[in-house]
Amino acid sequence: MRKYWFIFSIYWQEGLQQRSSFFVDRFRSFVVLISFYYLWTALLKGRSSFAGYDHSQMITYILGMSILRGLVFASRTYEIAGEINHGRLSGYLLKPINFFVYTFFRDLSEKSINLVSAIIEVIILSCLFHLDIRWPQNPATWGWFLLAITGATALYFLLSFMVGCWGFWTAESGGPRFLFELFLEFSAGAFFPLDVLPKGLQHALQMLPSPYLVFFPLHVFLEKLSPAQLVNGFAAQLFWLGALGAMTYWIWQKGVRFYGAEGS
Amino acid sequence: MISPIIEIHSLSKTFRVPQKSPGLMGALKGLFSRRFREVQAVRDISFVVEEGELVGFLGPNGAGKTTTLKMLSGLLHPSSGEAKVLGFTPWKRERAFQKQFTMVMGQRSQLWWDLPAWDSFLLNKEIYEIPKAQFEETVKELADLLEINDLLEVPVKKLSLGQRMKAELACSLLHRPRVLFLDEPTIGLDVIMQKKVRDFILAYNKRWKATIILTSHNMDDVSELCSRVLLINHGRVLFEGSLPELQERFGHEKLTDSMRQAFMAMEEV
Repeated sequence: MRKYWFIFSIYWQEGLQQRSSFFVDRFRSFVVLISFYYLWTALLKGRSSFAGYDHSQMITYILGMSILRGLVFASRTYEIAGEINHGRLSGYLLKPINFFVYTFFRDLSEKSINLVSAIIEVIILSCLFHLDIRWPQNPATWGWFLLAITGATALYFLLSFMVGCWGFWTAESGGPRFLFELFLEFSAGAFFPLDVLPKGLQHALQMLPSPYLVFFPLHVFLEKLSPAQLVNGFAAQLFWLGALGAMTYWIWQKGVRFYGAEGS
Repeated sequence: MISPIIEIHSLSKTFRVPQKSPGLMGALKGLFSRRFREVQAVRDISFVVEEGELVGFLGPNGAGKTTTLKMLSGLLHPSSGEAKVLGFTPWKRERAFQKQFTMVMGQRSQLWWDLPAWDSFLLNKEIYEIPKAQFEETVKELADLLEINDLLEVPVKKLSLGQRMKAELACSLLHRPRVLFLDEPTIGLDVIMQKKVRDFILAYNKRWKATIILTSHNMDDVSELCSRVLLINHGRVLFEGSLPELQERFGHEKLTDSMRQAFMAMEEV
């Protein structure tokens, strides 16, 4: 495993070298966070609650959403399709490393940088606006929350890796990737809590893996779930991890056989 | 009897290449119906390479040289045929095999662009699980041979092409591979740098008894380095033997003329 931790560290070093793009990216995230804060404050003005969320719950959801975006969605798996199409994948395939594990540690590096920044941004916003955050009442909730975000991170990695593998069969994976990310963020609850949507749509989205990326972990944190719902949520996360893990492995195996190593 | 280090038998590779008619209309048509063409890059080739041999793999662009090297390094699965390198089937990509060979592509770098070459060296140390003492000894030896001691802490993007190529070679050889696939290792270098890289390849070959297959369009690379050459065109091996044998068969004093003659003969076939 030493080699993969070294990969983690070398991507950190590279991230620190490319400071300007990092700061621009974080500035964008901060602007998004402030926009959501103003939007939901305006919607909650003059009301005690909205769609089952009181003011402090909604603020906590928005701040948590920002942190989970930094953790769950921060990824470099979008590079995979380009690496396949331009033959850069060859450099990894020639070496005694597992590309899947390599990209996972590359992602961990990206996530850790973004997570630290997202937490700092949330603290700044909380101090500036004296925000009322809803902390869990039950200490065990922290353990469940940690488990839920670990599952969410692994789930997003599998989904995103699988989409990156489209690069084996097409050079035009940019469009589908953009749609995938947009839909995923919407259906994950990374723009707003999913329970503000009509019931029918909510039920349809529950059939997908995406609600277990942001919406479910934040509901765990807000202690909005009954014990049965908690168990069901984790069972669904586990099911999707197994199913997507098997699919990703199968697609990767097929893709590598199909790989043309062009451009290298 | 010692078995050869590289042994390939009836190896073939066919690619399915998408076709596009020219212009915007062609692109629109391609949206709804895409045509494909089968391209046979390598056709039924067989050869063996013994331990310590330095073999030149020569041919015009598109002859099938790089495709063959990609199959031998495990990047591509062949359409048919068999290959063994160091006793391994390359495309199974076993760790024990990957630790014993390297592939250097003149137009492709494994060095991290924004970081000094030293960081890429350290990464390879971890990837190939090279013991610390061996790593330090090898880096010193390679850096001395290639004269890059002063360059290791400079970000790669600040190096010249020749300096980068030398750092690239060093990085690829840290794990002391027994088999080297060198695809145009001197491409884009000036004559002095070409000579240094050639001297280095020869020194490495002698020092470690490494088996090397080299592709190049540079006849100096071939004449100075290769004890044996394989001429390939349209995916087929046309000639296999020493350079004097090549010149004798195609009857020219200059190596380039002999090769031109050989390719013309191949076209006629």
